[in-house]
Amino acid sequence: MSTEADVNDTVRLTLDSEACIGVGQCELLEPTVFRIDDDENISVFVGERDLLRPRAEIVVDKCPSGAIQIAEET
Amino acid sequence: MTIPETPIDITTPSLYLDGVPHDRLAAIRETPGLVWHPYEDVLSKGGGFWAVTRHEDIKEMSKRADVFSSAIGHSNLWDLEADALEARRSIIDSDAPDHTRLRRLVSKAFTPRNIRVWEGTTRQIAGDLLDEFIAAGGGDWVKMVAAPLPIRVILTILGVPIKDADFLVELSNFLVEGTGDAPSLPDDAYGNTTPLRLLPFGSPASHAMYQYAEKIGSDRKAEPQEDIVTQLVLAEENGDRLSEAEYRNFFHVLIFAGNETTRTAMTHAAMAFAENPDQWDRLVADPSLTANAVDEVIRWATPVLHMRRTAAEDTELAGTSIAKGDKVVMWYAAANRDPDVFEEPFSFDIGREDNPHFAFGGGGPHFCLGAFLARMEIQVLLEEMATRGLGLTMTQAPVHAPSNFVHGVLSVGMEPR
Repeated sequence: MSTEADVNDTVRLTLDSEACIGVGQCELLEPTVFRIDDDENISVFVGERDLLRPRAEIVVDKCPSGAIQIAEET
Repeated sequence: MTIPETPIDITTPSLYLDGVPHDRLAAIRETPGLVWHPYEDVLSKGGGFWAVTRHEDIKEMSKRADVFSSAIGHSNLWDLEADALEARRSIIDSDAPDHTRLRRLVSKAFTPRNIRVWEGTTRQIAGDLLDEFIAAGGGDWVKMVAAPLPIRVILTILGVPIKDADFLVELSNFLVEGTGDAPSLPDDAYGNTTPLRLLPFGSPASHAMYQYAEKIGSDRKAEPQEDIVTQLVLAEENGDRLSEAEYRNFFHVLIFAGNETTRTAMTHAAMAFAENPDQWDRLVADPSLTANAVDEVIRWATPVLHMRRTAAEDTELAGTSIAKGDKVVMWYAAANRDPDVFEEPFSFDIGREDNPHFAFGGGGPHFCLGAFLARMEIQVLLEEMATRGLGLTMTQAPVHAPSNFVHGVLSVGMEPR
């Protein structure tokens, strides 16, 4: 859940290609970040993988397979 | 199948003859924790299931697909013997990694980008059906519009001849019957010799579907085409290990789920707009509401009322302890009227902007494969109706399928208003 303090935070997304089932929800939401690869039938990054936290949380939530996650801060 | 008396029975199929018994689902949803619902069948005397009815609980459960397994038990309420479970195993009744492998074989055809390719074809089919409906002055909406539209679209995508649409709709209707308690087909219908317990929905119609799948599969092997059936039968030969049983169960799911559910949504769409003419006028006046209207139609319809999982380990949900092996059932029909999520859940409101309904499942890996196809088809239907100024009036009350599993409507009379 986002708090007021972190709505302007940028977070990095990760993609688990083992888990991806190729639904395409991510490409629909963020076509400049994700694309379903035409040969592999799974999602790949095609651009900048950093998003504002609230948007990133929507993308993570809408991914049915759980393949998209927010990178843990180190 | 005998069903014991329960404090709040939600499984007796006849309860669904007047539509979904929302008052009963609400009573369970308002009970803290999970409610244990007795449910007996031949294999589970004295058994039952956990009824999961709140939106947030179904969401959590759908995402925890490793704990709430689709593969251990049946996806329907009743249990199956191990050999029957195996014989009818499909993408629906599997967990990762099997599920992932099966899903990726066809997922590409159903992405939002690739579904757009079929919009023109769908518009043509919808337009023709609506023109015939208008020329006839109305009639049975299911038979004239809601059934033929999605079956023709899914057959086109799969690469199955359109001339067989009526036959495959007929089989689908018998499969729906198989989810109720009064199937009408004799055991040997369609030349069936397989014991019914080995067939999906215990129906001889599944035997006919299998035979059809095998015939078209061998045709495509001999003469490959640019279609999904070819993709499925050739995947086997590319070493992707799609067995014959996997292929025919896959075909069965794609045909049944690809037509029956969208037909149901299109029928409830007609009923909802006939009962709420203000919402129809609103849509015609402001076509920018169409996308929202599509999701409201789908929420309203909830074509699949529930799906079952089986606990792979001892766990907890909504503060209730669940034992390994327990049946746990997600009642999407209840979640889609959850007042904690949907303001005035019982009003059909095409203006809802945030509509996180679970008509395509609760969001886990079993998220409906055809979700974007269904949305596109319903959107095109509404647009083509609006273009023709076709509002509807109900002339004959709906005949509901006696099923606790699908929200089917067998017929409903409509005429242009």
